[in-house]
Amino acid sequence: MKASRRIVIVEDHRIFRAGVRSELGESIEVVGEAGTVGEAIPLVIETDPDVVLLDVHLPDGGGQAVIAGVSPERPGVRFLALSVSDTAEDVIAVVRAGARGYVTKTISGEELTEAIHRVADGDAVFSPRLAGFVLDAFSSGEPIRDAELDELTAREREVLRLIARGYRYKEIASSLHLSVKTVETHVSSVLRKLQLSSRHELTRWAAERRMI
Amino acid sequence: MVDVGTIPARDRANGVVAGVAAGIGRALEVDPTLVRLLFALLALAGGAGIALYLAAALLMPDAPGERRGRVRFAAGMTLLLLAAVAALNGLGLPWFVQLSAVLAAGGAFFLWREQQRVLGGVLFVTAAVVLFTGGGDSGAGVPLLTPAAFAGGLLLVVGPWLWRTAQERAAERMRRVRSEERAEVAARVHDSILQTLALIQRESADPKRVEQLSRRQERELRSWLFPEGELFKDDTLVGAIANAAAEVEELHGVRVEIASAGNVPLDDDSRAVVLAAREAMANAARFSGADEISVYAEVDGDGISVFVRDRGTGFDRAAVPLERRGVSESIEGRMTRRGGTATISSTPGQGTEVELSLPRKAS
Repeated sequence: MKASRRIVIVEDHRIFRAGVRSELGESIEVVGEAGTVGEAIPLVIETDPDVVLLDVHLPDGGGQAVIAGVSPERPGVRFLALSVSDTAEDVIAVVRAGARGYVTKTISGEELTEAIHRVADGDAVFSPRLAGFVLDAFSSGEPIRDAELDELTAREREVLRLIARGYRYKEIASSLHLSVKTVETHVSSVLRKLQLSSRHELTRWAAERRMI
Repeated sequence: MVDVGTIPARDRANGVVAGVAAGIGRALEVDPTLVRLLFALLALAGGAGIALYLAAALLMPDAPGERRGRVRFAAGMTLLLLAAVAALNGLGLPWFVQLSAVLAAGGAFFLWREQQRVLGGVLFVTAAVVLFTGGGDSGAGVPLLTPAAFAGGLLLVVGPWLWRTAQERAAERMRRVRSEERAEVAARVHDSILQTLALIQRESADPKRVEQLSRRQERELRSWLFPEGELFKDDTLVGAIANAAAEVEELHGVRVEIASAGNVPLDDDSRAVVLAAREAMANAARFSGADEISVYAEVDGDGISVFVRDRGTGFDRAAVPLERRGVSESIEGRMTRRGGTATISSTPGQGTEVELSLPRKAS
């Protein structure tokens, strides 16, 4: 049994919040709920949870605004973004703002519980679609400015492709003959590149959501 | 507080002659002596100041808010005209310029009061004619003013009307667009969302059916709200796969998650891939028992790859019944005919993955 994790749900639909709450496993304790950016920032700072489950779209701003408001005060709080829309610019923008993962709202309760634990442990969580976007963004033939940040290694590509194909970390590990820990390391490394790379696609997607 | 909207009343109590200067001074919050000085100065301009003073005495009410009689108003206006003529005369302008200026001023007065616009227009045109004919026998320079006067007159005649019409039309268009939008949204809500909700209420005992209905509704709404989205663009590989997935979801009540990297326009080759992928999805939905299928489509320099994966029962190929082998044949056959491959890997108890790949053709 994993250690219990404290989370805050930031999402503007009460029904959806209730649904998530009831679906989460016993190892997750919901310590607060907020429906707007304005409510969320003080709540998260006050409750100091392990993970914030963060809707990309909120009535008074994007999920990014919550990250920007909380991070200076509580740098240890981690964010897992959640949305219905799945468009490249939403996903890329919120991850570049600092979310450690992205899942869609259709995710099962079991998978969501697993994703929260993963993010709480400091690892990254990519939905298959996000993995596809990242492969897409890093595949164009634009000149590489910073090889360390602007390019994925062959191994990272393999891992991402398997995520895109719907494999779970354990399945990826066994299919590539790696440990789960190594798979997690690769995904975290991709996350870092995703957040720091200045590749054109990434900045464009982020710019479309007015992130920069 | 200076009130420029209404004509001030005369102030006979503090006045010297008729209380005109005192009244104006009070209304404008200046020393009446200044006003008197101004009248005196204007009186030097061909007696304009005197005519202006008399006009003001007639036009300004005796007490605030009092209405002037018609005769008194007409007399006042006439004197005002005389004052203008006197002033223009004092400036040494030729008579016809004076006359046309006065006519134009009268025209403008009627035009902007928006009553008797025709009369205003006539006055304007007369002003132009006077200017033109007068200028005809007195030499250069002035005829140039005539077209300008005409244009100005025309503008004054039709300007306010054109302006108002344009504004009304813009507002009207706005209203129409808005009501059309409303009607479209209402129709959409009625045709799809309300129908779906009704269906869901009736079939609430069947969770599978409810999920199916709501997913279909979601998809419909999404493609309506985001028509520019990558997904559901029928003429691309990824769009066509997404559509095929939607059909499979609807037919079999499963969930199909699609991820993609890269895309190509549909042609005969990529269409074959879509059909094979559709078959693979349908198979997974029918036989695997899994309620979710993952599809990943990738287009890169090497060609097209599509992966269809489920976490269902899996199967042993050797033990597959004949009719199901036939279906597999239609996946593999389709791919090989286009120079591609279909690889099916399955482990009983762990699920199945079909990999379709079509290498890029050297062109």
